[in-house]
Amino acid sequence: MTLAVLDGGTYYHQEAIYGERLGGRFDRTIYAPELTAADLAGCDALMVADRIHPGVLRGKRPILLDYLAGGGTLIVLGENSAQQWAPGVSWEFRPTNFWWWLEQGADPGHRIVAPDHELFRHVGMKELVWHYHGLLTPPPGATSLVDITRDGDPQGKGGSILYDHRHVGGGAGRMIVTTLDPFYHHGSFFMPAASRFLGKLLDWTDEAFRTPG
Amino acid sequence: MIDAILLDCEQSETGAQALITDLALGPRIDLVPFYDLERTALSRTRGLLLGLHSDQRYLASRRGQLEAFLAGGGTIVVCGHIGHPFLAELARFQPIPRYRVDDLTVNREADHLVWAGIDPADLSKRRGVAGFYGRGSNPPPPGARIINSLGPSRSPVDFDCRPAVGGRLLVHAGADLWGYFGSGNSSEQIMPQLFDWIAKPSEAA
Repeated sequence: MTLAVLDGGTYYHQEAIYGERLGGRFDRTIYAPELTAADLAGCDALMVADRIHPGVLRGKRPILLDYLAGGGTLIVLGENSAQQWAPGVSWEFRPTNFWWWLEQGADPGHRIVAPDHELFRHVGMKELVWHYHGLLTPPPGATSLVDITRDGDPQGKGGSILYDHRHVGGGAGRMIVTTLDPFYHHGSFFMPAASRFLGKLLDWTDEAFRTPG
Repeated sequence: MIDAILLDCEQSETGAQALITDLALGPRIDLVPFYDLERTALSRTRGLLLGLHSDQRYLASRRGQLEAFLAGGGTIVVCGHIGHPFLAELARFQPIPRYRVDDLTVNREADHLVWAGIDPADLSKRRGVAGFYGRGSNPPPPGARIINSLGPSRSPVDFDCRPAVGGRLLVHAGADLWGYFGSGNSSEQIMPQLFDWIAKPSEAA
């Protein structure tokens, strides 16, 4: 079992992938502008770290689609403009609210809506409730894992910030998509909840996509 | 000749879009797609702005072009942490260990045109929350001028220097300085003053 990660070449990708705090959680690191189909041979899952330049990902779209069609799993994190290159992704911008926690008792609207999902053996509300960048509309066949309520959405609409899409396009591929951007915050030494989320997410990928030992 | 080219990393909320459409500052700057750097003639600009979302591995591969721009008298402004030192005067970011709020207070260490008239309190906190401005240092090279530091440890968060190859280098170990454009307090003067500083290549570093 092999888990790979796409590295966008920024300082925060460097810190999150190689730094002392969370290092050693990937079997293979691929510099995104140099991604080839051969790099993905034998990979059970590929994590597309957040905030890779979307132009790079648009350019690698044929490789990523082939990988999905071949039964691969893509874990696509936030601010990658996934709606420009990934199948079924529908994303709407929301301005970032860094400040929700300054008001006592504030409810930013996060809800775990599929509590039986394997991810929640590791990730809990403590890891999920921080700011988010935009809302997703899960496509038919996808399961939202975390929603933002209508009251929590400044536009009063609500939506998903994390979903699991098995059998993308009727094929064997799977996509986990989120609007959260933990590599950026963890790698910037800013926002402990984002670091917790990334750590727990990697606990799940260790379990789901890597061979122990 | 324009004052600055900003390499665009296609990330939301960077302030770049507001800057290029501003009536006063817009004409002083061009936004260029990030990976078009290798096809961009830097001879048409006085300054090059590199933001925190930059692919620094790519910038390292363009070191020759960046050094030629500096050697010709250009000014490079780098924001963010250094993960891949792509110029000789850059070193890897060092966070302030286990920082607390007081460790992140901005101290003015030297007068500088870019920060003239800007209240360090407007940099230290946003809506009462510390940490946006910086949380550590890109260690400055010998001879650099420390402009702002953080907390009692006086960790350098802003410095400028004269690179060995020529030109000027200004380094901010935090979020993009153009993010302060339109902030509604004294920090919104950073960008017009940055353009003014870039336009004065004779000013001592």
